[in-house]
Amino acid sequence: MPAPTSEIDLFADEVLLDPYPCYAQLRELGGVVHLPGNDIYALTRYDVIRTALADWETFSSRSIGFNPMVNEALTGTSLASDPPDHRRLRAALAENLSPRALRGVQGQIDAMADALVGGLVAQGSFDAIDALARALPLEVVADLIGFTGHVRDSMLRWGQAAMQVIGPINQRTTESFPIAGELYGWCSKVTAEDLAPGSVGRGIVDAEARGDIPAGTAGHIIHQYLGAGIDTTIAAIGNIVALFAAHPEQLDLVRKDASLVPAAFNEVQRYWAPIHAWGRLVTRDVEIDGTVVPAGSQIAILFGAGNRDPRHYENPDAFLVGRNPIDHLSFGYGPHGCAGQGLARLEAHAVIGALARRVGRLVVGEEVRVPHNITRSVAKLPVLQVVPA
Amino acid sequence: MRIILDRPRCEGHGLCEATAPYLMHLDDAGELVLDRSEIGDTDGGDAAAARSAVRACPVAALHLA
Repeated sequence: MPAPTSEIDLFADEVLLDPYPCYAQLRELGGVVHLPGNDIYALTRYDVIRTALADWETFSSRSIGFNPMVNEALTGTSLASDPPDHRRLRAALAENLSPRALRGVQGQIDAMADALVGGLVAQGSFDAIDALARALPLEVVADLIGFTGHVRDSMLRWGQAAMQVIGPINQRTTESFPIAGELYGWCSKVTAEDLAPGSVGRGIVDAEARGDIPAGTAGHIIHQYLGAGIDTTIAAIGNIVALFAAHPEQLDLVRKDASLVPAAFNEVQRYWAPIHAWGRLVTRDVEIDGTVVPAGSQIAILFGAGNRDPRHYENPDAFLVGRNPIDHLSFGYGPHGCAGQGLARLEAHAVIGALARRVGRLVVGEEVRVPHNITRSVAKLPVLQVVPA
Repeated sequence: MRIILDRPRCEGHGLCEATAPYLMHLDDAGELVLDRSEIGDTDGGDAAAARSAVRACPVAALHLA
């Protein structure tokens, strides 16, 4: 039986701004839905997505993006490789990014987040996205990789563009390619002198110079820190502030019991997935939920749709920190599970902890969103008043 | 049942330890140590914890045999 079809355009402005009604509609049609307008098969249900993420042989990462240019540009990165190459590339990335590698920086990140939140609470009104959601990850990644000078100022635009170009060819993608190209160009020419002594980035470049990692790998690794790690983490931290402002009773629960911090972050990630759609390429005719998806099909994994699947989560449209959905899909799963999730957790836990200690309640104005092909985030969130803890 | 660790795939995220602290822990170097890998089929509580730990691993480094 062929898959059910839908006329929905996954990358239309209104879908990108609020995809959840569209996710629900697609999920009810089937675990996989053909979208002829996008020339894509969308995976919508929790079990279907989790199974596909684990099965790299059937669902190849050679086509994680929705246009051929970006897939070509990402060739040779761990993001866009399959085993056996993937294992080596991933190991080189994890060497510097795994929780093991990051054990030394947790204290610094906690202190940074606490100082940042403390200053903003004293200030009383601020834009939560600029002053917190962007400020923290930009500083953390810049310090970690050892960026100096003009590169620090380019990180935000580069990070946004690197995700944007993963979308299909539309105006957003076309406008972002030159900016993503600046990042790519800089990373391919990066030298030890560009990076602060003692930084992780400097270590990676030195490792390449010594021949410990293959030639060209250092640039790829630094590219992934910036391309994959900035815009998504900004989205997640913005979501933390927006969701706690909208659900003060959930913030109260974390304030009363700090051990809920990791559970709260899992629920933020489940409730609002930072990544809207991510690609795979089907390598053989595969049966999904009783329908056949032909070899060569482009897949779009809809993490946010799976995260709200009532077949897996009870009362999925409620934001409840106590549910601790440790198996949410927003970091992906399996061999390609987000390589930076350890760092994202350190930053997010630090922010949630600081908010829980210092904030009683946040009074916010209207959140502003801007359509983005891949990253779903809040672009502006005016905090009008902070009721201190 | 037996818990099997794919050591090269493990990155030390520690979600398994948070789920099943009696069965496994991260050592001081951040490496995962399986304190118990053989779980009796009649041991309902530990079997459930083992299944949860396998489920929690974000990189699919644990499985049951």
